[in-house]
Amino acid sequence: MPKKTPKIDLLQGTLDLIVLKLLRAGPANGWQLTQSIQAISRGVLDVNYGSLYPALRRLEARGWVTASWAASENNRRARFYQLTAAGRRQLDAERAAWERFAEALGLILAAD
Amino acid sequence: MLERLRLRLRALLSPRAMERELDEELRYHLDQEIARQVARGMTPEAATAAARRAFGNTTQIREQVRDSWGRRWVERIEQDTRYALRSFRRTPVFSVGVVATIALALGLNTTAFTIFDAYVLRPIAVRDPGSLFQLSLIDRRGTRNDFTWTDFEALQTSHEAFDQSFAFHTLFARVDSAPAFGQLVTGNYFTVLGVGATLGRTLIPADAVPGAPPALVLSHATWRSRFGGDSAILGKIIRVRGRPLRVVGVAAPGFGGLGDVPLDFWASLSLYDDLVDGDSLLSSRHPAPVSIVARLQPGVTAKQGEAWLTSWLRSRHADAPERERPVGGVLNSRATATPLSPELVLFFAPLAAAFILVLLIACADVANMMLARGLARQRELGIRLSLGAGRRRLVAQLLTESVLLAVPAALIGFVLSRLTVDAGVRFMFATIPAEVAPIMHVVPLKPDSRIFLFMLVAAVGSALLFGLAPALQATKPNIVQASRGDFDTDFRPQRLRNALVIGQITVCVLLLICAGILLRDGGRLKRLDIGLDTHGIVRLDLQERPGARERALAVLRDRPDVQLIAAASDPPFGRRFPTVTAVDSNQHAHQLFYDFVTASYFAALRVPITRGRGFIDEEERSGAPVAIVSAGTARALWPGRDPIGQTIRLTLDPATAAHDPLASRRTARVVGIVPDVALGTIIDPFDSPVVYYPIAATAPGTALLARVVGNTGETMRRIDTDLTQRAPASIEDIHTLDAYAAVGLYPFQAAYWIAGALGVIALLLTLAGIYGVLSYVVAQRGRELGVRLAIGATPREVTRLILAQSLRLAGIGLGIGTVLALGVARLFAANIVGLSTFEPAAFAGGAMLVLLSSALAGYLPARRAGRLDPIEALRAE
Repeated sequence: MPKKTPKIDLLQGTLDLIVLKLLRAGPANGWQLTQSIQAISRGVLDVNYGSLYPALRRLEARGWVTASWAASENNRRARFYQLTAAGRRQLDAERAAWERFAEALGLILAAD
Repeated sequence: MLERLRLRLRALLSPRAMERELDEELRYHLDQEIARQVARGMTPEAATAAARRAFGNTTQIREQVRDSWGRRWVERIEQDTRYALRSFRRTPVFSVGVVATIALALGLNTTAFTIFDAYVLRPIAVRDPGSLFQLSLIDRRGTRNDFTWTDFEALQTSHEAFDQSFAFHTLFARVDSAPAFGQLVTGNYFTVLGVGATLGRTLIPADAVPGAPPALVLSHATWRSRFGGDSAILGKIIRVRGRPLRVVGVAAPGFGGLGDVPLDFWASLSLYDDLVDGDSLLSSRHPAPVSIVARLQPGVTAKQGEAWLTSWLRSRHADAPERERPVGGVLNSRATATPLSPELVLFFAPLAAAFILVLLIACADVANMMLARGLARQRELGIRLSLGAGRRRLVAQLLTESVLLAVPAALIGFVLSRLTVDAGVRFMFATIPAEVAPIMHVVPLKPDSRIFLFMLVAAVGSALLFGLAPALQATKPNIVQASRGDFDTDFRPQRLRNALVIGQITVCVLLLICAGILLRDGGRLKRLDIGLDTHGIVRLDLQERPGARERALAVLRDRPDVQLIAAASDPPFGRRFPTVTAVDSNQHAHQLFYDFVTASYFAALRVPITRGRGFIDEEERSGAPVAIVSAGTARALWPGRDPIGQTIRLTLDPATAAHDPLASRRTARVVGIVPDVALGTIIDPFDSPVVYYPIAATAPGTALLARVVGNTGETMRRIDTDLTQRAPASIEDIHTLDAYAAVGLYPFQAAYWIAGALGVIALLLTLAGIYGVLSYVVAQRGRELGVRLAIGATPREVTRLILAQSLRLAGIGLGIGTVLALGVARLFAANIVGLSTFEPAAFAGGAMLVLLSSALAGYLPARRAGRLDPIEALRAE
């Protein structure tokens, strides 16, 4: 078995950023989001399901996503989340903030 | 934005639906995970277990989601409420005690507020009461005056500041031989106010045309009480001051006119000359005044209205001589029965303060009860604090308990206040002189939204007052002790408790001393030697119509039970005597009260003429320039000299000299001296200088005073009947002079009763508080006292120990309270003439009462302490 790359714990703020980015592509329910995260990150990030739903509710309470019930692919009722205009703006803001942070961290690590 | 609000609302209103949705969402996820594991090859059971594991703690997920819904605080309140109710059930004595104490205090305060609300806060039931103002003219002396009819007509033509206005004259008249209050108004009165009629119609401008048939509108209340709600009242003829008027309608219920005396009827102002004697409305030289109420134009403020009125008056009277020119105009709100003015606030502040003080005493009592309860719950609270409960959370919970106790207390207090208001009004009618009762009109004291708001605020305020300090005290965590395993909180309430008791005793002393002062002064006023003998005198006010006075006098002279007939322009216990300026031989000016009396006046009131002689009939008839002075006048004008034969020179205002009845007495010769006696009002000092001038009983403008034999009240009624038969419509009013005196004294009596009642309630509450606190102290110090007893202290010594504590608190409270009472008494004396500030009896009595009561309240627990069995006390934990 290939050695498993250690799973990285996600901080709360970054989970928000991830969810917002994923929802940009289109509406998704909670399950789909967890699968997407695993797939796109190539198994490195594994979301603790316990933090996902509170995070989704938080985003909803802040008005960055809206939720509605719809039929999933196997015709079961699921709650789908959708990015709002405000959410889009928030995504851009958080992305910019993250990139600044990453750049700063890079500079520190590169300095001797 | 809207979505967020909707979410919040939904979370608040239908939390269960939200929970179900969450469940469904989580289940969907779980099922998908299971399906995935099964697809990988696991068995359904293993898949379920694995999925569950991967999922994590659903409870925690749910809680975190719930947090984001923001329902936390609602759930907290629910939790606290349930917890509080449970603990109340466990300690019923405590709960009932708190509710009863606060209910009593809140009930009292609600009663006071009901009366205040009815007179000062409740808007009158007319259209837009806030824009209605009564106009007044300020003259050079600073007095407020009314206007002339021509002023009113001129005012109606300009609409800059005022939209509409009406004029009125208030009168107190006999209506079908029973006294009533009414107003003569202009035709637009009811339209401007927006008041309709329940029966018939209201007054209309057509009624105001001279020569129109005299119409009368009754108030709803009078229609019900005096005419029994007779539906056939329309068209009935009613006699006002003997004149026949036809009833054309009954006003809408709940309307009694503007002002604080509910009116019985309204008629047209055009009937003024018929109904009111004296100057006519339209007289050119000296027209009778009318009051004006106007409605401000929308957008115009009262200040702007006043400014406009001032300039309008000035320009209107620009031609008048300097002396007569008005200085300005004033507006007084007529939105409520009694407008809120600084004088009103100053007057009622002490009364309101007394009621609030009783509430504070009650809160102190309950705070002590809460402190005691906190002591008992030390362990529970300590454990919760140690486990990580936030202090703020615990305090919030304790405060919830306080509020939950205060709310039922407020409701019970409301019921108490209704009963008290009812009983109070009944008591008032039972205690005022019987003759005054029919004329007493009280504004309806009904509950309304403001009163409920007051109760709510008072309840929550009380809850904070008695709950906050104990809650804060009881939740002080004691880390050091907790680390040792002793979870009690750091709770040492002695200082707070003692402070509360001292505060209670202070307030108690204050209230009782004030009550004592009022009692002494009231009693003194009653037994005052006023120098006149007013028992056995009947006062008659006559209608000024041709021949009425002669007819009445003829009937009176005919009666054997009338011994003496006198007359006076200002009889005793009426209004304040008018004043005039006189100069003495050194050209110094003195202010003198004056009165016009007949020769028989002094004999009728049994006032001796100490020097010189009384008036003779000839002087009465001719209005001769002679005078009788009081001893005070003699002292002021001619100190050390014989006043008989001296001349009194008056300084009269030339502007009004033409109509002044004193004009013919500008210089008068003194013929006699009388002692200082009571004047118009009871509280004016006796030794004010008075001068009496002669007048005949047949002259208009005087009231008759008849000295009668037998029971004054019965004789008065017999005279009334006799006059109604033989000289109908000749008198306007007839009362015994004693009734007037009693009415003058009544406010003092009422103040004394209220102060006394408050003082007694305060005392009872304080005593209950002392008893409670000392009982708890004894219980708490059980072990210590047991040790004392065991090592040889006698029961008496232990009793004295506890008693000493009670007396020490009482002593401190007494000291502070007495000092405060001295200050308050001085404040009173500055505002009310005639009250003596330092009444030693009142101070000593109040202090003694509180001291003895405190000793008594402390005695029982102290005795219990002495009776403790030392073995039991030592064993108890």
